[in-house]
Amino acid sequence: MANKVLLIEDDDATADFVARGLTEEGFVVDRAANGRDGLFHATDGSYDCIVLDRMLPGIDGMGVLAAVRAAGIETPVIVLSALGAADDRIHGLTHGADDYLTKPFAFVELLARIRLLMRRGGAAKAVETVLRCGDLEMDLLARRTKRAGRAIDLQPREFRLLEFMLRHVDQVVTRTMLLEGVWDYHFDPGTNVIDVHLSRLRKKVDEGFDRPLLHTVRGAGYRLGLDP
Amino acid sequence: MLRSATFRFAALVFLLQLVSAAALIVTIGIAVRRQLQVDAQRTVAVLRDDLRASYAAGGSAGVRREVALRTGRMVTPGTVLLLVDRDGARVGGNLDAWPPSVVRDGHATEVTLYRTGLNTAEPMHVEAVRLPGGERLLVGTIVAGELRAMRMLEQVSGVALPLALIFAALAAWIAARTIVARLEEPLAALNAVAAGDLAARVPADGSRDALATLGVAINGALERVETLMGELRMATDGLAHDLKSPLTRMRVVLERASDQVRDPAAAESLDRALSEADRLFALVQTALSITRAEAGIGREHFTTVDLATELESIAEMYAPLAEDQYRSLSVAAHARCVVPVHRELLAQALGNLIDNSLKYGAGPITLGLLANDAAVALTVADRGAGIPEARHDDALRRFGRLDEARQGGGAGLGLSLAAAVARLHDGTLMLGDAAPGLAVTITLPRE
Repeated sequence: MANKVLLIEDDDATADFVARGLTEEGFVVDRAANGRDGLFHATDGSYDCIVLDRMLPGIDGMGVLAAVRAAGIETPVIVLSALGAADDRIHGLTHGADDYLTKPFAFVELLARIRLLMRRGGAAKAVETVLRCGDLEMDLLARRTKRAGRAIDLQPREFRLLEFMLRHVDQVVTRTMLLEGVWDYHFDPGTNVIDVHLSRLRKKVDEGFDRPLLHTVRGAGYRLGLDP
Repeated sequence: MLRSATFRFAALVFLLQLVSAAALIVTIGIAVRRQLQVDAQRTVAVLRDDLRASYAAGGSAGVRREVALRTGRMVTPGTVLLLVDRDGARVGGNLDAWPPSVVRDGHATEVTLYRTGLNTAEPMHVEAVRLPGGERLLVGTIVAGELRAMRMLEQVSGVALPLALIFAALAAWIAARTIVARLEEPLAALNAVAAGDLAARVPADGSRDALATLGVAINGALERVETLMGELRMATDGLAHDLKSPLTRMRVVLERASDQVRDPAAAESLDRALSEADRLFALVQTALSITRAEAGIGREHFTTVDLATELESIAEMYAPLAEDQYRSLSVAAHARCVVPVHRELLAQALGNLIDNSLKYGAGPITLGLLANDAAVALTVADRGAGIPEARHDDALRRFGRLDEARQGGGAGLGLSLAAAVARLHDGTLMLGDAAPGLAVTITLPRE
């Protein structure tokens, strides 16, 4: 069954674009153009994810979020906001949002985050001690990484970077997601900081193997997986 | 300490307390003395009138008998009497000779004389009277009581003055404490606002004194500050929204177009347009961050972090970029230094400084951390050409670029943001000469 997404966004151009993009990716999208309608749909509770604009006519986004959470609905919510300051982000995340995306955003970024939330919202996974992708294996307890039986020597940060990629196998992981997940920063570090780290990691993980695992997704970010 | 108004006020209270105690004792002394004098005069007057009456009744012999009676039997213990005849020869009484200082008749004087048979001189209050027969009579009374009273007063003062000293000190301390205590609430409110809690106010205490008026005035000013900050926040938020919504749409259109075109040249142009859009967005974002930091917005999100760890983490993030330029990036922090900061903004500020050095500097980059009890200094230094001192102001200006021809990279907001972040923490940003090279130092005060 297709995943259902509720999109609460008053800006038509953005809403059209997001809705079309999500539909093309196989989601079923319901749209609401204001906070009141959005809240009405959301309380239905049958959605897998809610994409919520922060500034809405009528009830504003944070109000809708508070009402949804007050109604006991645990659907994952991504807040979209033109307010991009770190403080607004913290406020959003501490008030019931599962993720916070600043406008303007790339569609792939939103898509990657929706997929991430849906997977997280799915079956709560058992605590893993070994992460795998093909012949790449990471032992979280011993903090050792091997590929095809050969040990890979990783710096602590490279280890965390690869761990993050391994936890999101076959998913597109954007630069912002890596910066948040691995470094716990939310600002734009400028230049190509993340790309440089990834290219170093790729050298260690893929060099000397026929089948590359770490792929660059044009205009979006990176993906770890067997398929090219 | 002498310049402290509180201390001077306490000292004034102390002195005034002492002066008032001293004044009280002196006043009592004067009053007692005057009263005793009046008593002595009255005693002498009664004695004189009695003797005159004796003279009128019994003539010279009557007086002589009366004098002998009064001095001999000690009817009144303090009595002083001397009767001399017309030639000044002693006739009777308890003085050996007429005191030379008593000349005028009918006039009271204070003298100190020996009474017959006594070997101590006593102060006395005397009056000379000429009797109708030509004899002279000296009538007086010992004022030893006055002396005793004065001595007692001295003793009392000896106890009362140290007590007064203690109470004066206590009064001064209480007065100073009261003032300091009354100022605590206004101070707390002002400090809280300075620290970012814009809603802090001085609680009303119901009194209508000067300090309560001060509290009301402070609250008025704080109210205004809060309103202005709210308006500023709304204005920047509004601006952010107004700019970002069209930017989002623009990005959306470009992204869709980029997905649809098949012509590689067009695709490349669209990608470039997208990255320019992202740069424009980053610019707006940074400019807004600067404005907000300058306005002190974000102080409520300070968290305690160890700056040494933070520097390591930032250095680690940028190290590969430095290595790609064959430059080193190292941290020189000798100790942990845990302070409340806006972690995100501080990291961004340091990141900008490193980014600047990567773009415009040369040689190894050092992130330094120096701390003492008063302040923390974070330094990003390199071994490049540096910035001549005359151009430091240009470098710190918003959108200021030293090399106009230099393309790409930031929009000249990096240093401005770092300076704004320093000010958000009540600190400063200074450009210095690392001889050679540029050393940018962010100094944050510790509480």
